[in-house]
Amino acid sequence: MLSQELDLRDYFRIIRKRLWLIVGIVIIVCGIAGIYSVYIKQPVYEASTKIIVNQTPNQTAVAQLDLNQINTNIQLINTYKEIIKTPAILDIVASKYPQFNLTTDELMKKVNVSSVNNTQVMTLVVRDTSYSKAAEVVNAISLVFKQEIPDLFNVQNVSILNEAKVNPEQAPGPVEPNVLLNLAIAFVVSLMIGLGIAFLLEYLDDTLKTEADIEQVLGLPTLAMITRVGAEEARAGEPVSAAQIRKTGELEHVTAAK
Amino acid sequence: MSQQQSKQRHLITVTNPRSTVSEAFRSLRTNIDFSSVDEKIQVIMVTSSGPEEGKSTVTANLAAAYAQADKKVVLIDADMRKPTGHRTFSLSNRYGLSSLLSQQANLDEVIQESEVPNLSIITSGPVPPNPAEMIASNRMTATLQELRQRFDIVLIDTPPLLAVTDAQIMASKSDGVIMVVSYGKVKRDIAVKAKAGLDRVGARMLGVVMNNVKRKASEGYYYYYYGN
Repeated sequence: MLSQELDLRDYFRIIRKRLWLIVGIVIIVCGIAGIYSVYIKQPVYEASTKIIVNQTPNQTAVAQLDLNQINTNIQLINTYKEIIKTPAILDIVASKYPQFNLTTDELMKKVNVSSVNNTQVMTLVVRDTSYSKAAEVVNAISLVFKQEIPDLFNVQNVSILNEAKVNPEQAPGPVEPNVLLNLAIAFVVSLMIGLGIAFLLEYLDDTLKTEADIEQVLGLPTLAMITRVGAEEARAGEPVSAAQIRKTGELEHVTAAK
Repeated sequence: MSQQQSKQRHLITVTNPRSTVSEAFRSLRTNIDFSSVDEKIQVIMVTSSGPEEGKSTVTANLAAAYAQADKKVVLIDADMRKPTGHRTFSLSNRYGLSSLLSQQANLDEVIQESEVPNLSIITSGPVPPNPAEMIASNRMTATLQELRQRFDIVLIDTPPLLAVTDAQIMASKSDGVIMVVSYGKVKRDIAVKAKAGLDRVGARMLGVVMNNVKRKASEGYYYYYYGN
């Protein structure tokens, strides 16, 4: 039905009508998200080490860069990335460093391995609520990985490029929670929910509101639209005593003289 | 319209005749006058599908608007279940329609003058046990006949349509019926049901008065204080 289609002005009208509902939802959700990110969520710190995968010179007779060799190492990185996250390495870390008080599974969740394409460097990242613990764990994992690789692959081609500083001069800021990001997500999501509710309410509202509704539903003309009598309007008219009421016939001019 | 808020209902057509709301009542008056070409519309009934939609307020203001047009108007408060007319006009409700119909008073005794010139009121009278039967009585028909002779316009305020049958009975005795619809309060099927009830008794529907329209929604229709 043509009259049931909403045009753009209707959308604006619906939004304007329930603007406070939408704004309210957005403010409340953003407020909760803000409080959660700032006060409740524990900050998470990140520490990283870089590991370089290369044949050490004492292993190869020819101490020169070989493209084939580099390609092999790059391919190996993909394998190594998987190996780090297996119990083969993490079990050893868990048993060697009981002071971390972490199980293999917990370690697996904390550690993240990445590499930049076509480089021989891979990055190990560990997140924890304490920076120094994150640094210790990531150092431990790199170390164990370096020690275990010769056993698994029979090649000594892993070296640690840099270790995470356990006690840096300047304390690194937490990577989580990202207050701004959380707020932005909360804002967008709540805005969508608010709009959704506004349109749903409008859709569910089948009350009579316009002359067109009345014409369509009842087939009757609308004789008058009478607005709510606001307090200011009821008062505005200085009380006219009965005797002063101007009589007006339909065919007379209604002059507003007083 | 909240009845609890103010004991005396606002007769805005009297207290503030130059307001847009009063203008709307005057345009309602004009629209009623022009809504029928051949038949004379003299006895007009105001009703609505549900309670608290503003029937009594609309009736009272419309009556005042007619009175201001130099018509002799009588307003009958036929809502004998929840009478309000006497309060709107600050009149006694000792005698009224119910006393008239139960033959405890005659017509002259129950017609009271309001403060508005040309506007007379018949209040509902003491709440009777059988309002529907009273309205259906021959005496009611005879009373309306008598009032037709004496007044130019007879306005009748009735109970809501879907609550009790009074309005339906009264509709069959009136020349025209106005249905008050409160803005955004009446669901489509309820309104259709109410109208069907009126159609069944062969009522002549004049049209709908949309009440309690939000100011913003109506601003497109009327000039605010035009020519002020």
